[in-house]
This record gives sequence, structure tokens and C-alpha cells, in this order.
Amino acid sequence: MNEIFASPYFGVSLSVIAFGIGVKLNQKFKTPFCNPLIIAIVLVSAVLLIFRIPYESYNKGGEIINMFLAPATACLAVAVYTKLQILKQYWFPILIGCAAGSAASMGSVYLLCRMFGLDESLTVSLLPKSVTTPIAVSIAEPAGGMVPITVVAVIFTGILGGIFAPLLIRLFRVSDPVAAGLAIGASSHAVGTSKAIELGEIEGAMSGLAIGICGIITVLFSMAVL
Amino acid sequence: MKIIRQIGIIFTVCWLSILVEKALPFSFPASVIGMILLFICLLTGVLKIEHIQEKADFLLENMAFFFVPAGVSIINYFDVLKSAWLQLVAVCVISTVVTFAVTAWSVKLTVRLLSRLRERRTGNE
Repeated sequence: MNEIFASPYFGVSLSVIAFGIGVKLNQKFKTPFCNPLIIAIVLVSAVLLIFRIPYESYNKGGEIINMFLAPATACLAVAVYTKLQILKQYWFPILIGCAAGSAASMGSVYLLCRMFGLDESLTVSLLPKSVTTPIAVSIAEPAGGMVPITVVAVIFTGILGGIFAPLLIRLFRVSDPVAAGLAIGASSHAVGTSKAIELGEIEGAMSGLAIGICGIITVLFSMAVL
Repeated sequence: MKIIRQIGIIFTVCWLSILVEKALPFSFPASVIGMILLFICLLTGVLKIEHIQEKADFLLENMAFFFVPAGVSIINYFDVLKSAWLQLVAVCVISTVVTFAVTAWSVKLTVRLLSRLRERRTGNE
């Protein structure tokens, strides 16, 4: 029975179907809680657990999907390049904002993990959680982090940003759209950016730029501390 | 053929970035090297945006999908989640708010400083 599930086609098909259902639900309910990735992860996990399919069998297909992660990360360069004009115009506040935001994110995660008594490997898994998933994983994995914990923390952080961005803008009285967009991108990467695009053109562009730039800055910071 | 060529270009960039990663004396994630390489290629005009637009859009729009297998391996870490989920949630919530506030305020401060500098410069003239 198990050889049926050990074909790479199984893992890829199951992932596509689960993600497709996630996208449909997300379109229907239009709430950040219905994140397609979270829905897909829950559905695939449920199928594997219910039918007692070993993770290793599923991951035959999973490895093929993983192969696209590095190319997708590289393409973040295209997202930055298409906003070159706005980057040139605001390069100084963007650089300062992203550097401060990345430092605040890593610093606060480190302090909180110490405070709550979380161990080294959990701390490393959470440290890059404000940057986009591929970069976060490439920081956490070689440093001894647990990749799935990083992935889940990154998505959860993005969902938080997507939900609470309008509230945080009011709470901290952020009237400047440049500041608002950068704050959303620095704290909650791509998931937050989709909310920033709804708020306005400048907010969306700034948030999109912050994804790539905070990613690189966080890599540099983590090289210094890890 | 267009899509195949675009896949070829992006995969070649990724392969070159692994070469660069191996050649560097310190460890730096290959995927981020790929991003920087691609950005330099676009800036210098080695690659035109039309060369990779469709494939790049495809990868960026579907970025979340590529993380399904990585996320599913959470089923191997249930015991970790069970023992520390409350702390994990607290870390995420608090640090997201802190990051938001620090970024917004530092940008606000920078913009204010810049405009004050500009005022002083025009005042001197």
C-alpha cells in the first residue's frame, strides 16, 4: 500500500489540491485568518495522520516543491527592481526604517525567548520570523533552528500584521504613508503587504520594498550574532 | 519556449549563487545571493525585466504554495508545539507590535530630521 504514496506525484498532487482549497476558502471569506498556506498545511497534515501515510513518502513530492524555494527568493529582486524609482526617492528613510525594524524584531524575539525560558533551538527558529519565509528559513536552518517552527511563526506573524496593521497605525499615530508601509513590511512581510496595498499605493510599494531589504539586513545582522 | 527560457535563466542564477556561496569565506544563504545576483543583473542591464517577467510573477504570486511541504513537517514537531505554544504565540505577538512601532517611529524621525536639514540649508542661502 505504501508504495502508492511514495511516488512523488502523490505529494505534489496532495499539496496542490490542499492549497487550491485554501485559496478558494480565502477568496470566499476574505479574512487573513483563512490563510491559504495555513489551510493547506492543516489539510495535508490531517490526510497524512488519518491515513497513516509516513511524512517521508509525502516528502518525495515535497522535495520537488522545495526546489522552487530558492528561485522564488531570487525573484524578490524583481519585486524590488520594479519599484526602483520610489526606492531612489526615499532610500534614506527606507534604509533607516528597515535597519531599525530588523534590529527591533531580532532583539525583541531574543529577549522574549530568554524571558520565557525557551531553549536555544527554539530561539534560533523564531529569530528571523519577521522576514519573508524563504529568507527566514535560510537563516534559521544552518543555525540549528527547526524549519517548520520558523515557517509557522513567520506565517503567524504575517497574519497578525495583516489583521492589526490598521489598528497599529491608529494606535501609534502613523500619519506618514511611507512610515506606515515600511512598518507593515518590516513587521509582517508579504502577508502584511497585501493589507498595505489595500491601504494605499505608497503604503503597498513601501511594504513590498521592506520585504527584500529587511531580508538582506536581517541576514547581515544574524551573521553578526549567530 | 519563452517559459522554458525564463525558467532556465532563473535556475542558472540560482546555480551560480550556489557557486558564489561555496566560494565565499563566510556563510551567507545562497537564496539571498541569488536575489542580489538577479538584482545586479537587472541594474546593469545584463538581464532585461522582459526576459524573466512571467516566470518571476509566477514564482512571486505562488510563493506561499512552495512552503506547504516545509510547513507540513510540523507534524514531526508536535511535542515541541505542545510544550511551548503559549510562549511561541506571545513572542510572535509582542515582537510584531514592537517591530511595527520601532520601524514607524524611526522613519518618522528620519523624515523629520531630513526636512529640518533641508530647511536650514535653504535658510542659509
